[in-house]
Amino acid sequence: MDLEDDTTVLTTLKSFNTFISRPEHPQRLMERSAGSGFLQSQYKRSMELLEAAERVHTQHRYLQLDQEKKQMELSHKRARFELEKAASDSARDFEHEVDRNQELLGQIKKLEEKETEVTKNLSEQVEANRALRMNLEGLNKKLEERDTKLNAANQTITSLKDEIREMRQRIQNQDLTISARTLENQELQEQLDLQRRKYQEVSKLCQSLQAAQSSCSEHVIKIKDLERRLALQEQDIVIVKSVKSEVARVPDLEKEIKRLRDDNTFLRESRENCSLLKEEVEGLRRKLERMEKTKEELANMELEKEKLAEKLQAWENLGQSTGLNIRKPEDLSREVIQIQQREIALKEQNYALSSRVRSLERSQSELRAELTQQGGRTLEDQKKREAQDSLVWRLQRRVLLLTKERDGMRSILESYDTELASTEYSPQLSRRLREAEDILQKTQNHNTEMEAQLTKAQEETGALKLQLQRVELELETIKKQQASAADSCSLVTKEEVNILRQKIEDLEKERQRLEEENNILEMRLERHNLQGDYDPLKTRVVHLKMNPTSAAKQQRQQEVESLQEEVTRLRELVRSLQDGGMMGLSHDDSGMKNPSLSLSLPPSKEVQDLRKQMESSELRNQRLKEVFQKKIQEFRTVCYVLTGYQIDITTENQYRLTSVYAEHMEDSLLFKKGSNGTMQLMETEFSKTLGEMVALHLHHQKSIPAFLSAVTLDLFSRQTTV
Amino acid sequence: MTSTLKGITLKGSAEMVAEFFSFGINSILYQRGIYPPETFSRVTHYDMSLQLTTDPKLKNYLTNVVTQLKEWLFECTVQKLVLVITCLETNEVLERWQFDIECDKSAKESSAPREKSIKTIQDEIRSVIRQITATVTFLPLLETPCAFDLLVYTDKDLVVPDKWEESGPQIIDQSEEVRLRSFTTSIHKVNSMVAYKKTDSA
Repeated sequence: MDLEDDTTVLTTLKSFNTFISRPEHPQRLMERSAGSGFLQSQYKRSMELLEAAERVHTQHRYLQLDQEKKQMELSHKRARFELEKAASDSARDFEHEVDRNQELLGQIKKLEEKETEVTKNLSEQVEANRALRMNLEGLNKKLEERDTKLNAANQTITSLKDEIREMRQRIQNQDLTISARTLENQELQEQLDLQRRKYQEVSKLCQSLQAAQSSCSEHVIKIKDLERRLALQEQDIVIVKSVKSEVARVPDLEKEIKRLRDDNTFLRESRENCSLLKEEVEGLRRKLERMEKTKEELANMELEKEKLAEKLQAWENLGQSTGLNIRKPEDLSREVIQIQQREIALKEQNYALSSRVRSLERSQSELRAELTQQGGRTLEDQKKREAQDSLVWRLQRRVLLLTKERDGMRSILESYDTELASTEYSPQLSRRLREAEDILQKTQNHNTEMEAQLTKAQEETGALKLQLQRVELELETIKKQQASAADSCSLVTKEEVNILRQKIEDLEKERQRLEEENNILEMRLERHNLQGDYDPLKTRVVHLKMNPTSAAKQQRQQEVESLQEEVTRLRELVRSLQDGGMMGLSHDDSGMKNPSLSLSLPPSKEVQDLRKQMESSELRNQRLKEVFQKKIQEFRTVCYVLTGYQIDITTENQYRLTSVYAEHMEDSLLFKKGSNGTMQLMETEFSKTLGEMVALHLHHQKSIPAFLSAVTLDLFSRQTTV
Repeated sequence: MTSTLKGITLKGSAEMVAEFFSFGINSILYQRGIYPPETFSRVTHYDMSLQLTTDPKLKNYLTNVVTQLKEWLFECTVQKLVLVITCLETNEVLERWQFDIECDKSAKESSAPREKSIKTIQDEIRSVIRQITATVTFLPLLETPCAFDLLVYTDKDLVVPDKWEESGPQIIDQSEEVRLRSFTTSIHKVNSMVAYKKTDSA
């Protein structure tokens, strides 16, 4: 409703504006015409003033011109009156013309509207026409097709009719033939009856024949029976003959029986023997088995023996390699014992030697100590000797000095002697000389003593040195002895023992290694067993054919396949959609082609349908709006034309009426619709000027239409008069 | 049942072991989540609550296998029962639950019952099943959808029935093994163990 209201307001405004804009011209004209009347009067007045002035200035011409002027005045008045009349006439005409013009304008508008409508209708019609033409063409085509079909049908009908005719003819013919046949049939039946009768006769004859035949066959059987008996008899005869011959042979046979009995007894005996033999055989067999067993055992034994021999050989080789004479284990043991004994002896020897060595070492150490002592002593001696040497040397020097001194003294004495031969000092001097000689003698003695001591000491050291050397040599010899003794005693046994020990060690090592390997392998086996390995020779692994795993796998496979299919399908769809793009029609076509595609497209189709529906409804709405607008416009113009009022709705329940004859654009009446439906006049600038009419028509007569018509009349009269 | 109270016969032993396998397989399938937990229902057996499947297909399969197994146990021709868990995405074997069965073949000849009470055997079985339940704590999580299969290691001379076929041992590449408890009915001895694929993190 709001929308319609708005439209009406808009339209009324528009129309009003147009209305307002139009009538300006005539109004102006009217004003001009009114203005011209006014000028006339002015003119007249001026003329009078001019005349007065002229009268002042041209008194002398006044009288001359007075008459002329009166005539002129009269004529002028007449002319003025005529002019006024003409002006009023022309104004009225003009008003009429304006009215007509308005009407014509309205008509033109209407016509234009009608024209647009018509053109629209025409276009619609044209479209409809085209659609109809298309339909018509389609129908024509269909019609043609139908015609052609009809023709074909007619042709077929005619052909069928012909056929029917032919068929009828045939049927008639066949009827004829059938009747002929029935006739024949009757004849044949008659013949058949005849034949039957004949057949009965023949069958009777046949029965008699059969009876005869049966009797005949009985006879034949009898004959055969007899023949057989005859043959039997002949056979009997032959048998009898043979029996007779056999009887002749009986004694022979009895002999033979006897012989056979003997044989029998013999055989029985032999059988017993045989059983005995069998037992024996069995015994032998058992023996044989035992023998075989023993043979096997023997073979095993031989194998063992061989192994043992090999072992022995190995041992022997060992013996040979070791250079010992080992042939038997006893030898070996003996040897071992011997070796052990020898070892023991050697050990004892060794011990003895080692004790000797130890004692020797001890003595050696003692000797060493002695040696060191001796060395020390020799050193001391040497020192002593050196000291004595030095002493000797000093003494010799002193001796030399003393001898020099003595020589000097002697020379002095000799000089003295010479000088003082046999003087009183000579005894003294000789005594002193003697004393000195004595001292010299003593020192010389001491010297020699010392020298002797020195030589003695030197001799001693030499002896000690010799002793030392001897001791050292002894020590060396002892050492050598010891080494040689140790080498010689353990040379053989040690080697052997070493070899054996090494072998034992090697074997021990190998055993340990093998044990470890065995453990590792066992562990590995256990692990394999734990992991589910098995021996394919002893074990087989089975499971149910339809187990959950295979079922699940199958299901999964199927799922994957179906998903792949779907994916390819969807991919195609996407591709087609991408290709299709805006082309909805081709899209539909592809949908028609591909059933899967059309399956997935219904929503878009629905949407399209809905969109179409919406469009059509919108179109209908638009049309209705247009129609309403048109109708309202029409109604409003009609109202305007008939009542002379343009009615506008300014606000809710307020109506503004503007008269056709309003003097100003804003001159309007405002009515308000009361709550009880009564209309009330609102106060406006224009309504204030209409106090009388309001009092008379509204307050007194209480009629709005009367008031309005009064206003119209008043305005009209105002416009037309003047 | 009076006879079983005194001792156990070959037949009784075979039935007992087959029953153990039925419950054991069910609890492995439940614990390892091979089938959804809502398809299992709680039952009480061996004096403990156990889960049994309600899935009709699985039930049918298990009864088929267990009945055949019972027969073979009675004939003492079965060596191992293996439950293999396979990843469906990569077809890789992730777990192998192996039950080694040692049959006392002398029980086939002499029908005399053995001196072992059912109660002690059931106690042993109970502890084995408890251990199976406990293994979930250290076994790696099965993150992908998996399926299981039952392999039976039998003697070579056995005639394979119609519904059965030969299969590979389905050995795990690079596995860790854990031995579980064992139990014996004095005729059949069942050693259980589980092998699982070594994960990179471990």
